[in-house]
Amino acid sequence: MIKAIYLTIILFGSAVSGYTQQKFTISGTIRSQRTGESLIGATIKINDAGTYSNDYGFFSLTMEKGKYNIEASAVGMQVQNIPVTLDRNITLNIALEDEQKTMENITIIASSKNRSLSSPQMGIERLTTKEIKNIPALLGERDVLKTVQLLPGIKSAGDGNSGFYVRGGAADQNLILLDEATVYNASHLLGFFSTFNSDAIKDITVYKGGMPAQYGGRLSSVLDIKMNDGNNQDYSVSGGIGLISAKLNVEGPIQKDKSSFLVTGRRTYADLFLKLAKDSSLRDNVLNFYDLNAKLNYSIGSKDRIYLSGYFGKDRLAAGETFGLDWGNATGTFRWNHIFSNKLFSNTSAIFSNYDYNINIRSGANQFDIFSQIRDWNLKQEFQWYLNNRNNIRFGFNTIYHIIRPGEVRPSTDKSSINEALLQKRYSWENAIYATNTWKFTDKLHITYGLRLTLFSILGKGDFYTITPDGEVSDTLSYRKGQFVKTYINPEPRLAASYQLNTVSSVKASFVRNVQNLHLISNSTTSSPTDKWVASTNIIKPEISDLFAIGYYRNFSDNKYELTVETYYKTMQHQIDYRDGANIYINSDAIETQLLFGKGRAYGIEWQFKKKTGKLTGWLSYTLSKTEKKINGISNNNWYNARQDRTHDIALVLSYQLNKKWTLSANWVFYTGNAVTFPAGKYMVDDQVVFYYTERNGYRMPDYHRLDIGATWLLKQKKRFSSELNFSLYNAYGRENAYTISFRESKDDPEKTEAVQLALFKFIPSISYNFKF
Amino acid sequence: MKYSVIYFLMTIIGFTSCEKIIDLPLDVAPKKYMVEATITDGKGGCRVLISQTKNFDEDNSFNGISGAGVSLADDNNNIITLPEVAPGIYTDSSITGTPGKTYSLHVNINGVSFNASSKMPVKVTLDSLYITEDNIFGQVRKTPNINYTDPKGRGNNYRFVLYVNGVKRNNIYIVNDDYSDGNFSSIKLFLFGGDNKKIKSGDKVGVDMLCISPEVYKYWYSLNAGATGNNNAASPANPVSNITGGALGYFSAQTVQTKLIEVP
Repeated sequence: MIKAIYLTIILFGSAVSGYTQQKFTISGTIRSQRTGESLIGATIKINDAGTYSNDYGFFSLTMEKGKYNIEASAVGMQVQNIPVTLDRNITLNIALEDEQKTMENITIIASSKNRSLSSPQMGIERLTTKEIKNIPALLGERDVLKTVQLLPGIKSAGDGNSGFYVRGGAADQNLILLDEATVYNASHLLGFFSTFNSDAIKDITVYKGGMPAQYGGRLSSVLDIKMNDGNNQDYSVSGGIGLISAKLNVEGPIQKDKSSFLVTGRRTYADLFLKLAKDSSLRDNVLNFYDLNAKLNYSIGSKDRIYLSGYFGKDRLAAGETFGLDWGNATGTFRWNHIFSNKLFSNTSAIFSNYDYNINIRSGANQFDIFSQIRDWNLKQEFQWYLNNRNNIRFGFNTIYHIIRPGEVRPSTDKSSINEALLQKRYSWENAIYATNTWKFTDKLHITYGLRLTLFSILGKGDFYTITPDGEVSDTLSYRKGQFVKTYINPEPRLAASYQLNTVSSVKASFVRNVQNLHLISNSTTSSPTDKWVASTNIIKPEISDLFAIGYYRNFSDNKYELTVETYYKTMQHQIDYRDGANIYINSDAIETQLLFGKGRAYGIEWQFKKKTGKLTGWLSYTLSKTEKKINGISNNNWYNARQDRTHDIALVLSYQLNKKWTLSANWVFYTGNAVTFPAGKYMVDDQVVFYYTERNGYRMPDYHRLDIGATWLLKQKKRFSSELNFSLYNAYGRENAYTISFRESKDDPEKTEAVQLALFKFIPSISYNFKF
Repeated sequence: MKYSVIYFLMTIIGFTSCEKIIDLPLDVAPKKYMVEATITDGKGGCRVLISQTKNFDEDNSFNGISGAGVSLADDNNNIITLPEVAPGIYTDSSITGTPGKTYSLHVNINGVSFNASSKMPVKVTLDSLYITEDNIFGQVRKTPNINYTDPKGRGNNYRFVLYVNGVKRNNIYIVNDDYSDGNFSSIKLFLFGGDNKKIKSGDKVGVDMLCISPEVYKYWYSLNAGATGNNNAASPANPVSNITGGALGYFSAQTVQTKLIEVP
């Protein structure tokens, strides 16, 4: 601890360097002229110097006295040039106009024109909803998580699945934030859709490496999703009707220029058709989900702004009276931005996050409910200190109180055959302090160095165990309410450097350590709403990953094209797996009896070639990678392929603006099948064929490939009203991709066994209508 | 369960999934011995089957191993050697077990020995077997039900074997009293998963209720979760056996009761 503080002081020592020239600061916020939405990551350029607006549109730049021309730009916005005379500190609030599309002159900037060659940040991908708008989607549901899967190094968890794996990490090793609140289960309908309604979303940033020190808590990636603030200029209603869902978005000013609101809802309605079914056995089934996003923001003077945002989503699945399952997330974020000075920006967030599920069984004498929940109370404080042109400092803290209710079974009648069984609640307190500086050492060499220090305390009340190597409880220790069971202290260094080779290319290198104290225990191949979150215990150690990466970046033809190559090596400690025959739903607080521990390693190289402007935009990405695990007790303690190990992964994403009315799009993906366990033989048990296995994940699923095509037809675009039709065809050439491969006695000849492949989605057309006024 | 939901989802969206038989080049592994041994509280229930694994593309006939030395002992160390009555089948129909007693099995195949022990649990009375109609994600199915009352004290484990018109169904039904200790219980033997052929009026339905030990429960639990070939398990694996020495299979000292009805 002392050492860490000492280290922080040393690190910042270098930040304060003397200067003699007279310097002034230009600071302000950058917004959209039309909606008043703050623009994240907009570029503010003055000659060779430049900066980016932060998550709230704020920027600050310190320059020598003089006359300058400021160039402000952002994705989908017109470039604005502002002449300034810098002879004092200036506050400059910039409003950018939407890009105009004219028949003769279509210049589409599909993504940030100049990926920062000079910034040491690597492993980052930013998307705006404008960019994902035209990508064809399964059943026409635009989905940020599925778009993210088309990026290099990020892999889909399966056909049509919104789960993803980043650089060899498991699906639970992604930190998914919605307006800073953790979303514990980001999927609807058993993984086929994500919880993020793209209409409510402003910006998506994915960190697959080089996570800045303000993020922590998961090993593999950070997916930081920010909701729209709401239009503070004018009222607007937009919506869409698709094959399976309808959406509506209402936003507008409460007081023009000062405050605004936004409410966005989405609901699936496929099951409403079921109600029309004649057959009562169909009519009584339920399968639906809805999402509700809401946000308020209010400017108090020029220095303060508050935001209140919330998300609420729920899935419901029921089979008549017999079986019901509902699950959902709820998050709430209160934020206060305060500008202390033109160089010091502060954000304070109070965050609530909740995920729970409920199962109801009413079957004969089995009458009971199961409830499980994870809930966080979270406080974050961050300062951004634009010290001078060479040093940009961030520091802050984060404190989270987690309460996990692993499982509570309650009989619903006194005649029920099921007894009440309440697993102990688990309490933990996660604290982190961090500081980081981006230091422009020379014009060519920039370095980001920082440290995050995580303190994870397991608190009573509760029982904690000692477990034998065979997985039996040998000792139990009971702790009182509020008593500290154990505190894990982990320093997480974050280092990155960039060296600009010339005006069009640079190289970067980074090292990050990440620590994860919440672990998802899942028994199935795809995400399930009943997967179990557990906190670190005396036995379950914090997972630790170390990621080294180097990259090469180059722009071509005046930033029209961009090439990115990154290679990485990652090690993971204290990884969790299951004992043979594990049951994670046992009626016991000692979940550790079902688990095994080991380590993992992943390495790979990722290429992305992107065309960013013009009628045709898009990218081609290719990832070559390897992911292995070594768990004590599995595969004779040897390294074996992790399930998410795929050798090749290719994605081609194209969008073509045919004319003012029509935009065509296509994406094609190819990947090597996941590592999978297939039988090495068979034998009979109780006159039934069962299968014999010799090695874990020794085989591969067949290669996966798929083409999706789409078209957007702009029906009307007036100032007050616009509408469009979206067409898409998922899996356009009807490839039968294996969803599962199972083994069974042949139906024709019980003397034989056969392998059966199940394919889910083949030629799925869809149409949706979107409007805005 | 999850598959039913996916099919249901596909149905309401109006698209069909597609299933096809594929050729997979599977490796050939060295043979492994398989021992399936039971002793029950009834006559004819003491039986030890010894076989070997087969390659995936071979036929499913029983691959019996002859010439093994097979013996059983009770807690008083009374040892009985079981004669081989057919290739790989070792039995003595006169032997019966007693609930509460622990039995041990010793098998010797060409000098390789396998050992196991199993305690026969108390017999819990099978009250009744009857049929109900249940709606399972849009399909009404006739479902056999079993009623019994679990005795007080955790640790009772059950396995049910379903026969329709005298043919054993390949569904694995196991229950323990982890969440239902001491209660009246009714168990539905749902027909989904691998063997989902419907039960019709007039069919003769029979159910064996076996009271099994916790180790044997774990064997069936892990077999069902990881070795039947038709599931969604993250990592298929061999079941957790209570036999030491490296054989597949299990040794179960179990009680048996049977009920038979005609489906109305």
